[in-house]
Amino acid sequence: MIRPLPVCPKDALFSLLDDSLTEIQTAAVTFHINECESCRTDLEKLAASPLVWRETSDILSDPSLRTEATSSLPRSELIGENVGPHPVSDVQIRNLLPMLTPPEQPQNLGRLDHYEIESVVGWGGMGVVLRGFDSALGRPVAIKVLHPHLAAHGTARRRFAREAKAAAAVNHPAVVPIHSVYADSQPPYLVMAFVPGGSLQDRLDREGPLETAEILRIGYQIADALAAAHAQGLVHRDVKPGNILLDHGQNRVMLTDFGLAQALDDATLTASGLIAGTPQYMSPEQARGEAVDMRSDLFSLGGVLYAMASGRPPFRGDSTLAVLRQIGNVDPKPVCEIQPDVPSWLGSFIASLLSRNATDRPQSAAEVATLLRECLAHVRQPLSNSLPKSIPLALPPTKTAGSKTSLPAALAWLFARRRPASWAIGILAAMLMLIAASMVPKIDVWLRGANKATQSQSENTSVQSEATQNQSSPLLPFDKTQWDDGFDLPLRQLRQQLEAARNP
Amino acid sequence: MSLHPETRQSLLLRLRDRDDQQAWSEFFEIYEPLIYRLARAKGFQDADAREITQDVLMAVSRSISRFRKADHAGGFRGWLATITRNLAINRLRGRNLTSLDESVAAKRLEELVCVDEHNHDEVRFEQEHRKQVFVWAADQLRSRYSQANWLAFWKTCVEGATVAEVAKELNVSPGTVYVARCRIIARLREIVEQQTAGESPL
Repeated sequence: MIRPLPVCPKDALFSLLDDSLTEIQTAAVTFHINECESCRTDLEKLAASPLVWRETSDILSDPSLRTEATSSLPRSELIGENVGPHPVSDVQIRNLLPMLTPPEQPQNLGRLDHYEIESVVGWGGMGVVLRGFDSALGRPVAIKVLHPHLAAHGTARRRFAREAKAAAAVNHPAVVPIHSVYADSQPPYLVMAFVPGGSLQDRLDREGPLETAEILRIGYQIADALAAAHAQGLVHRDVKPGNILLDHGQNRVMLTDFGLAQALDDATLTASGLIAGTPQYMSPEQARGEAVDMRSDLFSLGGVLYAMASGRPPFRGDSTLAVLRQIGNVDPKPVCEIQPDVPSWLGSFIASLLSRNATDRPQSAAEVATLLRECLAHVRQPLSNSLPKSIPLALPPTKTAGSKTSLPAALAWLFARRRPASWAIGILAAMLMLIAASMVPKIDVWLRGANKATQSQSENTSVQSEATQNQSSPLLPFDKTQWDDGFDLPLRQLRQQLEAARNP
Repeated sequence: MSLHPETRQSLLLRLRDRDDQQAWSEFFEIYEPLIYRLARAKGFQDADAREITQDVLMAVSRSISRFRKADHAGGFRGWLATITRNLAINRLRGRNLTSLDESVAAKRLEELVCVDEHNHDEVRFEQEHRKQVFVWAADQLRSRYSQANWLAFWKTCVEGATVAEVAKELNVSPGTVYVARCRIIARLREIVEQQTAGESPL
């Protein structure tokens, strides 16, 4: 099939390296290289000097370099618990928990007082979470053991005990109840209710960004749980998707790990090289190591809402330091830019929680909970519930450039609806707009006219939605929940794949 | 000669823009393991080496805007080598160490403080930087190539297998293996050249 080349394709070698030949040309030159030693040598020289070939071999085969490149600062500790369950061998468990006695059931890992240890659920900076069974009361439990090297610190142990006791006092349906605290055990551990299902982090990893109503539903329950804790004077300090558990039916949301990050948040501990908490959701004041109050939790809650809406944390980086650098120096990219179908009011509300300055955020978790509940009511039944007045209404994209409306922005606005039925009309409107381009300031009027036309032709829900918009906020052009969700699905899958490819 | 003449500015220039996240993440990916390794080579324990690494990176991110190449004969990396040395000395002086007895610490301090006449530290820093850039470049490229292409490169260039063996194992012609490994090493060389090029004067 491939004919031998009559002469050596010297000129093509550069393009071959550059991958700029056609498939057939590549095949022909590759075939030639198979046979022609002179071209092979030329290609190798062109690719890199003999010194670089040798260096590549020496450096990349150096095992000390390879391992240090990836493990000088262990990723699991840096990135927190997001890395998922860590495969832990029996030996490691035994090293970690020397006080384990042999299990009653042979398939279990061991026994801790009257708890049978069944498996390792998670593994994070502050210790290990085990799944156990309370043989006295006959119920499954989750057992959190403080990392032995932290347990060696008197301060850390006392904090662990104090905070665990405080957390045990919070009684709220959305807070994972703490059954017992064994502060004097070596190492100390606490026993909590076992919540079957996974964390919000697991769900985000699996499904990507969530629906508006779902974001509000989960957000409301967390805010409410935080309000209950704050009323007791307890700051969570580590609100993040990994600490939000969803039960199997996914209806109940439960916050866990109350105040425990405090046990790590100590100058003497950071000296041991361990960085407290998961940086991605940390407030700027926390990242700077300053005193934190309830409003720090609200920042982190904003981060969680951000992750639910966009599918990724507000701050990302390849190392703890890279993330810490961003927090407090950079504003996260607006949610609506990552995910155009997030309602703009939700985007601005999230941004207000993520204000760098604590005084610019909403001031209490109770206030945030009320707002989220009202927003949820609005999204579910827009006709009978309007958006709360204090929700900041961002201008829709068509208005962001000031009073003038750019044509691309207007088009983006039209197509952001992602509604097949309205595409044709959208194109028609776009053509009309081209004609009307000279009357730029009037495009808004045009667009609204076009929308009305679209919606009057479609089913009731759309008409209803337009009615709602007029009623509650004339500047709110669309609301994702009102539209056909089926159409979003392939896009979401595509996005997940892209995200997955980007963050292997 | 560059196959992809990217007109990117040097990392140092890009780091001046605090919002250039790409630059900062490159910086941390390359220098974090590098400084850690140098600290270990100076005899510091893991925890202390990590602390020094953090101190150096934090110091750089605080003061990068004040860095002037003219003030440092050794350039950006010479400056980094100096910071690393100074912060290591600080750490020994403060005796803020997890495990090192007094006499050893005193000896280390003496070694570190005595004048570095032949710029050993800077030379070492340059060498280790070049190594780290190779490792980093390989990590960058790994995901851009198919498994078969990458294996063709890795097995023949790094693990020392012959082209014939690898071609047979991957069930492709030897020519394909030659082309794949040459393409990858050419990109690797470009990234290394780009990262190790001398910074333009500021």
